[in-house]
Amino acid sequence: MASVSFRGIEKAYGTTKVIHGISFDIQDGEFMVLVGPSGCGKSTLLRMLAGLEEITGGEIAIDTRVVNEVESKDRDIAMVFQSYALYPHMTVRDNMGFSLRLRKAPQSEIDRRVGDAAKILDLDPYLHRFPRELSGGQRQRVAMGRAIVRDPKVFLFDEPLSNLDAKLRVAMRAEIKALHQRLKTTTVYVTHDQIEAMTMADRIVVMHDGVIEQIGAPLELYDHPDNLFVAQFIGSPAMNIVNGTLRRAGPAAYVEAAVGVRWPVGAGAGVDGEAVALGVRPEHLGITVPGGDAVSAEIIVVEPTGAETELVLQVGGEKVLLVTHGRPEVRPGDRIGLALDPARLHLFDRTSGRRLTS
Amino acid sequence: MKLRDVTREAKLLLVGIPVALWTLIPIYHMLLFALSTKDEAFSGRLWPAHPTLSNFALVFEQKNYWLNHFWLQLWNSLLIAVAVGAITLFVATGAAFAISRLKVKGGRLVMNLALFTYFIPAAFLAVPMYKAMGTYGLLNSQWALILAMITLASPYAIWVLKQASDKLPVELDEAARIDGASPLQLFRLVYVPLMTPSLVAVGTYALLLAWNEYLYAFLLLSRDTDITLAVALGHFLSADDSPWELLMTTGFIYALPPAAIYYAFKRYMVTGLTAGAVKS
Repeated sequence: MASVSFRGIEKAYGTTKVIHGISFDIQDGEFMVLVGPSGCGKSTLLRMLAGLEEITGGEIAIDTRVVNEVESKDRDIAMVFQSYALYPHMTVRDNMGFSLRLRKAPQSEIDRRVGDAAKILDLDPYLHRFPRELSGGQRQRVAMGRAIVRDPKVFLFDEPLSNLDAKLRVAMRAEIKALHQRLKTTTVYVTHDQIEAMTMADRIVVMHDGVIEQIGAPLELYDHPDNLFVAQFIGSPAMNIVNGTLRRAGPAAYVEAAVGVRWPVGAGAGVDGEAVALGVRPEHLGITVPGGDAVSAEIIVVEPTGAETELVLQVGGEKVLLVTHGRPEVRPGDRIGLALDPARLHLFDRTSGRRLTS
Repeated sequence: MKLRDVTREAKLLLVGIPVALWTLIPIYHMLLFALSTKDEAFSGRLWPAHPTLSNFALVFEQKNYWLNHFWLQLWNSLLIAVAVGAITLFVATGAAFAISRLKVKGGRLVMNLALFTYFIPAAFLAVPMYKAMGTYGLLNSQWALILAMITLASPYAIWVLKQASDKLPVELDEAARIDGASPLQLFRLVYVPLMTPSLVAVGTYALLLAWNEYLYAFLLLSRDTDITLAVALGHFLSADDSPWELLMTTGFIYALPPAAIYYAFKRYMVTGLTAGAVKS
């Protein structure tokens, strides 16, 4: 087990800079997820930690040892690839024991460690099979087994579930998490899927265009996004964003969206006349009677999913999504009022995208 | 069977029958001569009246002036072909691995040069090659022919192997690197086992190229005890009264090993040589 730290990491391909000075620490035993849209640099960062990419600038340290110039094999890490990267000509047993064989470990030790890993992952019945004879989920488990056998300081996962179908993905997600709880090995996990990030991580690093947008525990990011990017990236369905102008009227404030629609925001933050983006999660919107101060909305579409009902609403010029538990008696075309809890609204500066704080 | 299938089948036959005839008639002709006595060979019959294996006996017992060294020359052909196949394979596999997997600098240049060699017909290079071998004092040594054939076979072999290597996922190399494999271990334990079909195909290609070679063998070797059987067959024609039935018999025997090799490795030849050509 080990801690990992990134200090001012930069990466450039020729003159194209793709990672612009990233610094953060991963605690010993932590499950850290790097998440972001494709091209944000999360995989590159992981590959630099793995020793598969040159580090252009900055330092990566595992425990206290700087590993910039250390060969992959000497970094004491194990990696699970998106494509599994199992050796097609070797049986499951040989795949899992390959690294030990290269290290010239005695056969008895290889057998014991492969056996232990196979037990943990329920791979016992498949040890003599070849990768082509396994299902996607089994291959994924073999890839993890190969990592476990090495008993490394750090596990690296590069989008390991992307090749699986939706149902299997959910199952493997739980398996990886359970594995981490059992082994407590420091883990760095890269994904573009924010649900994976939310469900698995101890902490999440949200990346975008080669910089870190925010680091924090899953619910911290969900409840207090630092900026518009994180607000829109984390959470499904995504947060509603309404553009408008902040108006102060005595102690209260409201956001005036396009055609005179006023969203009350309580005390709010920011100054009068500031161009803001108001963020509100679909599940934080409620239905109330129209009229008075309530924001008025017209129902466009009603989508019951069983446990919840999603309503697509037209508010002024904007489409807004509302998610409610239960099954409200509403039909397309109905007019409703929106119930808001000012404590759960998010205000962002529209130009910088930063969260406004009072 | 649907009408569409019938027309498809008909079109295939229309192409297939001429191709089959084109290939089979010379072989049939060769066999016909081999089974006929000298008098009967030119009788114009479709099948000899008294088919005989006496020609084969004559060849195997080396009972003709032209066939004095039949077994030795067959052995020369085999030795040279196997050497060319093995060394070409070694050179080409190393080059393909270095260029495709280790991404050595200048790899692209080597690939382009390899392709460039095919702009010049091999026949044009025969005389320069003869001079070069003379310079190195290799004339009349079987090494001259072996080296020349490796030179001719390698560029194509490198291309085929490079294309096939490119198809192996790069993650395998990365996984092996993290697992602790050195480049040599990667080559031995991961690369070669996965490339086996292509290696068999390319090795066979080089082997057959050398087995069938006439021009270079004719130029570079001259002693009767050094030459390959292909050259010895050519010598038959230098007489006014060539023993055609023996020439054809020897030719027929000479054609059997390639046919056997091709048949044995058929599976690899088709998949190996087209690997990388299409997305599978």
